[in-house]
Amino acid sequence: MKPGADCVTSNPHMADFLKSALPGFRLKFYPSAAAFLKSPPAKGLVVIDSSLPDMSGRDLVSVLRGDKKTSGLLLVLTGGGPYSPAAAALSLENGADEYFSFPPDARLFSARLLNLLARTGRSGDAPVKPAEYRFGALIISPEARTASVGAARVKLTALEFDLLLYFLKNQGRVVARTVLLEQVWKQGLEAGPRAVDKRIEALRSRLGKFGSKIRTVFGLGYIFKM
Amino acid sequence: MTPRPKVLIVDDEPDYLSIAARIAAKAGCAVVTAPLALKGVELAEKERPSMILLDVGLPDISGFEAARRIRKVPALARTPIIFFTVRSELDMVSEGLKLGAAGYVIKPFDPDELLARIKAAVFPA
Repeated sequence: MKPGADCVTSNPHMADFLKSALPGFRLKFYPSAAAFLKSPPAKGLVVIDSSLPDMSGRDLVSVLRGDKKTSGLLLVLTGGGPYSPAAAALSLENGADEYFSFPPDARLFSARLLNLLARTGRSGDAPVKPAEYRFGALIISPEARTASVGAARVKLTALEFDLLLYFLKNQGRVVARTVLLEQVWKQGLEAGPRAVDKRIEALRSRLGKFGSKIRTVFGLGYIFKM
Repeated sequence: MTPRPKVLIVDDEPDYLSIAARIAAKAGCAVVTAPLALKGVELAEKERPSMILLDVGLPDISGFEAARRIRKVPALARTPIIFFTVRSELDMVSEGLKLGAAGYVIKPFDPDELLARIKAAVFPA
């Protein structure tokens, strides 16, 4: 029986590419996240366009990976624009099993998808969290709760580490101060927006040259971009 | 001169309201804002915006309920609504999109994506 793949894309070029690169597959096309989410499967392979008309492919990957009904899907994200290691790493950290810039090499694409399917022993397991994040010399290990730049350990308080981790998980996204208070400071702790600014200042200085990667957005929030 | 398209932003979180307003202005839009859903519905009827950016977890009624009420106003039945929310659960996203939303943007968000979605909604190709 032919392997199957659900393809979520509204881009006719991507649809044509998928049809020609995956001749041995049964393909089913959905033009939007809304169409796919009407009845998402629990198993199988899903190729997701990063630019959907109603939501970003990266968000759709996170949503599917975060729900126990769909967390066992094999998710392949195809991004627009030229290949960038940062975009690829971010997609994988968000829960994608594979990332390709579009258009990928057809043979490589097909081979990787077949490999993924061949390894499908997966059935709703929790996604594997990355053992560590690496950005050049900056290495962060969520398990060991350590950060280092090159060989030098960066000394961080527990709160600063949680802040850094929150930024890493939300790279490229604007994070409002109030959200940091909710998500990192958690409830029950008395703190205000000024406390966030002061702690970010401290975190930036501890991260040395990487501190500038946490940028202020309009004085209202922050964005972490490598 | 053609008037700038108007965007209504409904969000109880002042930081997000402010950031989104700046992004909508950058997209070339005039902006009206409301911190509560019911006020948002009222403003939508009065201002007839070209699109609505709507938070979901609002203190008075949910953004989904607000969207249902907005849709019942004949002049607003086809106004693009983009949900702009921290709610990333599958059931929530499905419900939002089932309401006919033009988009669903999860916070924290990518500012370039929000800009592109606002532009696509107010200046359709």
